[in-house]
Amino acid sequence: MSPNDNLAIHEEDAQRINGVLLHFLGESGAMESLLIDRSGQLLALAAGAFSSTAAMARLLGETEFTMLFHQGVKESIHVAAVDEHAILLAIFDSRTTVGMVRLFAKEASTAIGAILAETRTRPQRTGVLSTPLHKDEVQSSLRERPV
Amino acid sequence: MSIINYAQKEISFKIVYYGTGVAGKTANLQYIYRGLPDVNRGNMVSLATGDDRTLFFDFLPVSAVTVRNFVAKFQLYTVPGQIYYNMTRKLVLRGVDGIVFVADSQWDRLPENVESFRNLEENLKEYGYNLDEIPYVIQYNKRDLPNVAPVEYLEYMLNRKTRRVPYFESVAVEGKGVFDTLNTVSRMVLVAGFGQEQGALNESK
Repeated sequence: MSPNDNLAIHEEDAQRINGVLLHFLGESGAMESLLIDRSGQLLALAAGAFSSTAAMARLLGETEFTMLFHQGVKESIHVAAVDEHAILLAIFDSRTTVGMVRLFAKEASTAIGAILAETRTRPQRTGVLSTPLHKDEVQSSLRERPV
Repeated sequence: MSIINYAQKEISFKIVYYGTGVAGKTANLQYIYRGLPDVNRGNMVSLATGDDRTLFFDFLPVSAVTVRNFVAKFQLYTVPGQIYYNMTRKLVLRGVDGIVFVADSQWDRLPENVESFRNLEENLKEYGYNLDEIPYVIQYNKRDLPNVAPVEYLEYMLNRKTRRVPYFESVAVEGKGVFDTLNTVSRMVLVAGFGQEQGALNESK
């Protein structure tokens, strides 16, 4: 596996992404927004749903469906592709419209895509994580519940 | 692919339980879910058909060791075993950091195990991953059944790549071998992600 697949989100990038997401929430009127990874980090079900629509898109000869919309009675979910690795998910209700969410999600995902692209050019590990693990640190400790 | 979040002090890894249908992948996750203290586990999500066969995946987030003030989190996934669901298996493998290959030890399931292992290699190849580079372990499950093949034979059939990997005998429904498997693969994933001082993994065994 190529090490470039790994993603390290540094504090200042996280703050910038937060800024974009807050702006997106303000403009679109959505209730929540989440930035998730396509491999299922953070939200396995949404990533799974997005991946399966992408697979369906390929059956149609499209490269992928860049957005996905689940309509509920009260709340709905809008999912948009950010880049090859990330997805932007927004939860909204009747106080806004899918059109508004879609419009600003597009803007937000472009902005976040740019930040992530920049993030990937930085060194993956800095500070305490850049040195190899000491043998005491390799001892795994998933502790079982005492019976 | 691991994700390091410096702001939240978290490192996440993805571990996939792979193997043929009804080998006990879901049973592994269920036992882990029951065996972990509440603070270390999230909700287990299972997408199964009516007869309890996994349809899409099972998912269990587990937070474990703290490495240098960063909490290491492992996202455990299973795949559907049946040949038929290959598209889903491939999707679940995306961004994998470590693999547990769960083999059904019964004699009559041997061909399926071998086929499933080959399928794993093929699916990884499509993402440009290589089994020689990804940390994985093999678990020989259902050791309590009467008609099981000897471990040596299973080793010969499945664990024969250039690099021999750790293997475990297990009875997943009873939890035997389940945590040994998970501990070893998670340790291997950490070491693969961060590198280690000379000999650290061997000495820690």
